[in-house]
Amino acid sequence: MTMRRTRFLALAATTTLAGCAGIATKLTENPTFHDVLGWPERLDLAILGAGQPLAREYKESDVATVFRSNGFDPPADSQYVAWSRDDWRGYRLFVSGLVETPRSYDLTALRTKFERVEQITRHDCVEGWSVIGKWTGARLRDVLADVTPTADARYVVFHCMDNDGAGDAYFESLDMHQAAHPQALLAYELNDRPVPIDNGAPLRLKVPTQLGYKSAKYVNRIELVAALGGDLGQGGYWENEGYEWFAGI
Amino acid sequence: MKKRVYRHPLMVRITHWLTAIALVVLAMSGMQIFNAHPALYASDASKFDSPVMSIEGMDSVDGPQGWVRLGQHRIYTTHVLGFGPNGEGGESVRAFPSWATIPAYQDLADGRRWHLFFAWVFVICALLYARWAFNLRPTLADIRALPAALKSHLLPWKVKPEAHLNPMQKISYFGVVFVVAPIVILSGLALSPSVDAWAPWLPAILGGRQFARIWHFGGMIALMLFFGVHLAMVTLTGVWNNLRSMITGWLVVDSGGAK
Repeated sequence: MTMRRTRFLALAATTTLAGCAGIATKLTENPTFHDVLGWPERLDLAILGAGQPLAREYKESDVATVFRSNGFDPPADSQYVAWSRDDWRGYRLFVSGLVETPRSYDLTALRTKFERVEQITRHDCVEGWSVIGKWTGARLRDVLADVTPTADARYVVFHCMDNDGAGDAYFESLDMHQAAHPQALLAYELNDRPVPIDNGAPLRLKVPTQLGYKSAKYVNRIELVAALGGDLGQGGYWENEGYEWFAGI
Repeated sequence: MKKRVYRHPLMVRITHWLTAIALVVLAMSGMQIFNAHPALYASDASKFDSPVMSIEGMDSVDGPQGWVRLGQHRIYTTHVLGFGPNGEGGESVRAFPSWATIPAYQDLADGRRWHLFFAWVFVICALLYARWAFNLRPTLADIRALPAALKSHLLPWKVKPEAHLNPMQKISYFGVVFVVAPIVILSGLALSPSVDAWAPWLPAILGGRQFARIWHFGGMIALMLFFGVHLAMVTLTGVWNNLRSMITGWLVVDSGGAK
């Protein structure tokens, strides 16, 4: 094939692709079309969200030496910084909303009141990478049982101390079925040491059956609600940016 | 003598065009997703220091550079891969350029929306197609006739449309539907942490979750190669006749004398 013909074919191919990209980009910006593209999420949740299969648990030797961190900068407010310098003595996790008995816990209470659970699981980031870590903490369902959710509680919302730099705080949510998963953990240790600041100190959620953004870091308040929407928008910071609420895919 | 033969049943025609759209969208939105972390690892978790392949770039005082890293080798691809058009009127560090991704600008969330929608279209079409493609399973006679068919395709522009699929078409269509498509679909499913909880054997047989990305990426390249050759053959063997046949079902062939 001659150089000219090769160049012509390359140009034709890239122009065609650019045309497809252009049409698709315009369609993406159409709100109705954008909604239609989101339809399969319900189907995916109906299929994959049923049951409580366990994420694979790994061996100690599979654990990565550095657990890659991602997301916003750690909280920088004076209270967080003060807590971090004082072994988190002032920190408390508040659990409230649609519960019989709202409570709060310091880290010692979380460590002593609830069964200590370890899991070595793989963290799959929505970006595509994976890292294996050993997490230790209390089962979310044990903590929820301690406050007794009311009958109309349908979602568990995790309010976090980090924000996007523009003032919007990180938050996430699970439904009651997901929150009851035996591997849904409120983790206070990573690889046998207190959770490092970059990885969500002093307490983070771990949901190994969903993508990393579900596993909210820097959790300081858990709220049980009847519905998402309103201030809770699509149910999470990234969900409000167009990512799926069901982060199982 | 020319005659018309009914070549493509309705279901094949519908799924053919839906699959064509789905393949283009999946490849382009897949490249958008790949851009979020443009590296492949031959393992379960990521070995960030030693990707098998990665697309990298930087903008330095000496000017921009983009390259594909394959193990220790660097192939410079500035202005196309690693550093190229960003969909906002300029160029930046970016694995695949804006003209190859959906959407054009960098947006992982929207790329995923397109990808996870058309993944369903592709899977449903692949299942419907499988029913038809099973009839194409190569027979011993097809394999015996392969050398002759290959020889006749050495000059592709001399290939004439025939009433029946030739052995090369049968083998390549069958291979795409029953080998490449299942690899792409299964490796895509293995990327889902929820699917992996249901079927831990799935990432395991593929060499781990990150290795599944290699299968998924490689399968995409195989599909694109097929797509390219397919387009070339469609064009060279009478583009209007071929296109019309995939719309109406009827293909005009030389009735010649034989057959």
